[in-house]
Amino acid sequence: MRLVFDRGTIVLVGPTRPGDCADLPGALWDQRIAATRCPARFHPALVAELRRRNVRFVDEVAGHASGALTKNLRPVELRPYQEAALTAWELAGRRGTAVLPTGAGKTRLAIAAIVRAGVAALCLVPTRVLLDQWARAIQDVLGIVPGRLGDGERRIDTITVATFESAWRHMHHLGNRFDLLVVDEVHHFGCGLHDEALDMSVASLRLGLTATQPRGQPAAKLAEIVGPTVYELRLDQLTGEFLAPFDTVVLHLDLNAVERADYDELMGTFRDTMRVFRSFHPHATWDEFARAAAQTDAGRRAIAAWHRAHKLLAFPAAKRAMVGTLLKRHHASPTLVFTADNPTAYAISRSHLIMPLTCHIKRTERERALALFQEGKLRALVSAQVLNEGLDVPDAEVGIIVAGSRGEREYVQRVGRLLRPRPGKRALVYELVLRGTSEMGQARKRRRALAA
Amino acid sequence: MLPESSLPFRIQHGHILPGFLDVQDLPWLRVLVDEIDRFRGTPVRDLLERLRQPLPCCCPPFKSRAAKAVLLRLWKGQPDAAIAPGSARQALFCAAVDHETAPAAFAAAAKALGVTAETLARVLFADLPGERLVCAPDVIPSPTEVMLRTNQLIARSLLFHARRVRIKVEGAVRPLVRQAKLRGLLCSVTSGAPPILELSGPFTIFRHTLLYGRALGEVVQFLPHCAKFKLRAECILREQEATLDLQTGDPIFPSESPKAFDSKLEQRFARDLKKLAPDWDLVREPEPVAADDTIIFPDFLLRHRLCPQRSFLIEIMGFWSAAYVTRKLTLLERANIDNLILCVDERRLCGTETLPAKARVVYFRGHVDARRVLAAARGEAIG
Repeated sequence: MRLVFDRGTIVLVGPTRPGDCADLPGALWDQRIAATRCPARFHPALVAELRRRNVRFVDEVAGHASGALTKNLRPVELRPYQEAALTAWELAGRRGTAVLPTGAGKTRLAIAAIVRAGVAALCLVPTRVLLDQWARAIQDVLGIVPGRLGDGERRIDTITVATFESAWRHMHHLGNRFDLLVVDEVHHFGCGLHDEALDMSVASLRLGLTATQPRGQPAAKLAEIVGPTVYELRLDQLTGEFLAPFDTVVLHLDLNAVERADYDELMGTFRDTMRVFRSFHPHATWDEFARAAAQTDAGRRAIAAWHRAHKLLAFPAAKRAMVGTLLKRHHASPTLVFTADNPTAYAISRSHLIMPLTCHIKRTERERALALFQEGKLRALVSAQVLNEGLDVPDAEVGIIVAGSRGEREYVQRVGRLLRPRPGKRALVYELVLRGTSEMGQARKRRRALAA
Repeated sequence: MLPESSLPFRIQHGHILPGFLDVQDLPWLRVLVDEIDRFRGTPVRDLLERLRQPLPCCCPPFKSRAAKAVLLRLWKGQPDAAIAPGSARQALFCAAVDHETAPAAFAAAAKALGVTAETLARVLFADLPGERLVCAPDVIPSPTEVMLRTNQLIARSLLFHARRVRIKVEGAVRPLVRQAKLRGLLCSVTSGAPPILELSGPFTIFRHTLLYGRALGEVVQFLPHCAKFKLRAECILREQEATLDLQTGDPIFPSESPKAFDSKLEQRFARDLKKLAPDWDLVREPEPVAADDTIIFPDFLLRHRLCPQRSFLIEIMGFWSAAYVTRKLTLLERANIDNLILCVDERRLCGTETLPAKARVVYFRGHVDARRVLAAARGEAIG
């Protein structure tokens, strides 16, 4: 019998018949090719099981980049909690997730794990911005240029960094080339959307990194495809010594009369339809409502009204004035401004002459902007999503959260952007919340998430 | 691809009924094309804002959403800036650190860049998607073309949710198989008249995935080139299983015609033979031939026009890997074809024992000599 890697799966080639291998891990009979097939991630379990049964087989799964790192890499120095996280991961059989707050140095921990494992590694990151950052960090720490997959590049090396999207698209021919998978912001997985990227890899060693531990069903799925949580630290356990302490100031603002009338009318339109829908489907999800609403004129009007109401909340006059006041007040401090959407980021950029960092800004310009911000030649950056996750932002002291669209996780990540430690530093986070709107409830939830 | 929530379709008794556009939709399509064309030279965001509002005539919401998606790919946004917007941003936002007021920052940055403050303000975000200027295509598509393109997008978007696709197809089977394999799909061909192709992804047996959706959807554009087809796809839409049927005559915009020849080698051979033998017809991609549980696609059929029983299947084996040659020869042997002319590149170094016993073999180097192939067909000694 031969084990062959076939586009993200393992095919058992040889004298097998339907049912012969049905009890092997993950295995199913594939009638299309008259052979047994299983998802690539079961490869280690499959090999172990075949050995246990004393089945003679030839393993032809490994791809050409797979195997040990040829270069002798120097060990990476770690902080005590990073060392503890790495040890916990190693004790768990080098499979599992480390939950560390934003700014705790998860990238460095991952690089140390790659060095200690000494095998070909594929690092998955959610965005193109993080692709750059990880590639740079690996080059800085290890002195080697890693391969890159994503943002228009397709260069595979023993250590390669890939965006989730590119990994998902290309894992069918990459899945057998790496023995270690490092998954940054691992909470994006486990809900089925891109899980195939992890299922189609044979890597037996897996390290997940996140600042926000997923709960419920996705957590169970993550434990299966990456490994269980092996180490967890909260924000308050690191603030003071390894992360800068911070204060949050919630500024309650009011819509002006015209905006209030518009908002009430729009939300009224939305609520009328929602109320009728709820009376028939009390436990329906938002997606179910959206799908049902799309079928009728009234429903479509309701959805459009909801979108317009949220657009209105993103940057009404009071927020506009307050952003101006705060930027003036902290003129001398490096400041990050977070918005709900790109149009608001550009509006703030235009009116206050601060650099926007959005998905539309190309890599070279983005890198230049971050460098100028670090040198103090730019006073502030404004962003909707790009600054949310993982991006290693140069030291900033003040954060202004104008609005958000992605809930508590986004809030925790945003606050984390400001916590790079420096002697005497105390970060300040302003949160702008509109009274009498849906933002009040969201703000309460966000603060609870930060305290958890 | 259109998101599921924007797709025009209904599910009735487990069957997907696509909301294809037809001639009744041409009036509002004409209005839509005119409306979009009005915005050439203006920022894309203005066009998008306009498209959010209703048209001055009745139009079905889902269909019009699909048509808008098609048209927005044709009326693209192009940046129009005297200086690079990135440089303009860097100069202005750096100047803002040292200057108290916006006009002072603008003036300083404009001076440094050698432009006026007005120009600087205009180009500042000119490269952003919403700020680009709407650019019309070279040829404005007719409403009928827009209708067909929209239908193709609808069909592709529905197939994006497919798990498995079965196609009964006549004519142009080979390009279809090639396209499917190029896109990483498993393509099994069941011999028969007509042959049935089954397309799916390797991972599909484990769970429903959208990983192959794009590849399955892209097959649609090649179907109109087949003489006859009948497609059945098993899809998961609105969290339920349903089948989608498409067939010859469905109003779908075709892709560009597939290339007539796989290689220059084949092209030159066809040209030489047609010149040399006016009494013989050379048919490109004849009917496939069964070989065990699969079928093979000979390159040509050479047939005497006045005496059609004198016909030969021609297979040219050019520059391919050793594994391909071995597999191909095994299939040809199993197919047991009486009238096969096999043209083999001498550099492949196939031993005669591996060649199909019944085949007439013509060796070539560089190009296939049409005279020698003709001699083989006439049963003459091949020199």
